Amino acid sequence: MNTYLQFAAIKFRNNMAYRFEYVMGILSTLLSFVVYWSIYRALYGTEEVVDGVTFSMVATNFIISLGLNNAFAKNEMFLQDKIKQGTIANELLKPVNFKLRMLFEDFGEGLFRVIFNFLPTVIIAMFFAELQAPSGTLNMMLCIISAILGYIVLWLISFIVQSWSFWLFSVWGLITIKNVFVNILAGAFIPMWFMPAWLRDFIKFTPFDSIYFTPVQIYLGELNGYEIVINFARQIFWILILYALSELFWRRGIKKLVVQGG
Amino acid sequence: MKDTISLFFAYAKLGLKTRFQYKVDTIVTSFAVFFRESAGIIAMYLALLKFDTINNWNIDELIFLFSLIFITYGIFIVFFMALRDFSDWIKHGDFDRVMLRPRGLLTQLLLCGADWMAAFGHGTLGVLLFLFSANRVGIEWNFATALYYIVIVISGVLIQGAIFLIFSSISIYVVETQSLKELFYWNMRKFAIYPLSIYNKFIQSILIFVIPFAFVNYFPAQFFLRKDDMSAYPEFFMYLSPIVGTVLYVIAYAFWKFSLRYYKSTGN
Repeated sequence: MNTYLQFAAIKFRNNMAYRFEYVMGILSTLLSFVVYWSIYRALYGTEEVVDGVTFSMVATNFIISLGLNNAFAKNEMFLQDKIKQGTIANELLKPVNFKLRMLFEDFGEGLFRVIFNFLPTVIIAMFFAELQAPSGTLNMMLCIISAILGYIVLWLISFIVQSWSFWLFSVWGLITIKNVFVNILAGAFIPMWFMPAWLRDFIKFTPFDSIYFTPVQIYLGELNGYEIVINFARQIFWILILYALSELFWRRGIKKLVVQGG
Repeated sequence: MKDTISLFFAYAKLGLKTRFQYKVDTIVTSFAVFFRESAGIIAMYLALLKFDTINNWNIDELIFLFSLIFITYGIFIVFFMALRDFSDWIKHGDFDRVMLRPRGLLTQLLLCGADWMAAFGHGTLGVLLFLFSANRVGIEWNFATALYYIVIVISGVLIQGAIFLIFSSISIYVVETQSLKELFYWNMRKFAIYPLSIYNKFIQSILIFVIPFAFVNYFPAQFFLRKDDMSAYPEFFMYLSPIVGTVLYVIAYAFWKFSLRYYKSTGN
């Protein structure tokens, strides 16, 4: 385990080198937030509450889901590049679990961006947007745990799509299409509350609402104890299902892998 | 002139042939671009099922507004891809190669290649959005309005072309301009897609006076739609796009010509 934490720590430190990049990253996240904040400000008009959802809940939802969405973005061409260049052969020889190592490296990078991109964005946004405070210390901690579970759901979906590199010329298109589904169905581009009923009913059967919407609801104090347990159970259920799928694709892929030269 | 056109077609044929070596990938990638760009529109569509209008714009009118951004980008990227990636040209020394050929530098850059997948993705989306909305927003289409539509599309391409020509000129001095493009083009474009009037005055001023995206879609769309939020701006802005496009392009071109004198190869 210690080995894998080291991988995460290395990635975390590597990111510190690119200071200018991360200033630009904060700006980019902030501007995306301003776009959606302005859209919903205009949609709300003079209203403060629509269907029991206050404008500050919408703003908070966007800063969490859009902010985490940007913070969790990573190089999704990683596996394809390794396979195309054949360097995956060297990786497989190392006495570490490649998938687990990839997860921890990405997690290190994600953690870096949560601290140095997401948090500064939230702090700046507090000056002009009416964000809600967390609904309590316990809820804040549960929110962080569910955000980590959400990250794993997101990571596994990404890994499954990336593992198609074993069979396809390029997975860029599939990854982009996957991201559209995540952006919309996980509620980064439109708050879950305002989706049409049929779409919400559909999303209930998918892993997408466990990514950002569960942490958002816990943060806002929308869920009671029983509902929180159910939501955690759903997140873990999806992690198990997606993990099984990712193992399936990974093992098939490795069997199929032929590296030219070396 | 005839020579230049045939040069464009020769390059285009070459580019498309190269791309269609990988037929499935090209189609999937173009579709992915199309779908990625639709995401904001789908989100807006879903939101308007709940809220009906945004600053009095209904979904059809918004779609008409969106169409201009995507059509102009689709055309823009056929000609200006080399300028979009110009810092790479300098870094890899490809620009030196261009200088040795018996044609104008900018002519070669404009003609030499297109990001066909982006062109298909954005272009198809723009055309579909236009076809969907053109007859639903109460525009009386006749020769004059159709002609003005073509003029504003060209203006929109010129405005975005001028912006990239300026970035490219700056690349001559500092080589790396990725963050500049990110900040002043891509981030501003996020704003430009939606009606200008939803933003605060500071953002509006940037989109009108600094990176004049407002003249790519918002003001031209107002010429056709005459929504009441136009009352916040001078009325003549609706007719200004062709002038903004031409003037900006001329300025950018002069800056480009001036900067070329300072070009130093990065070596190798």
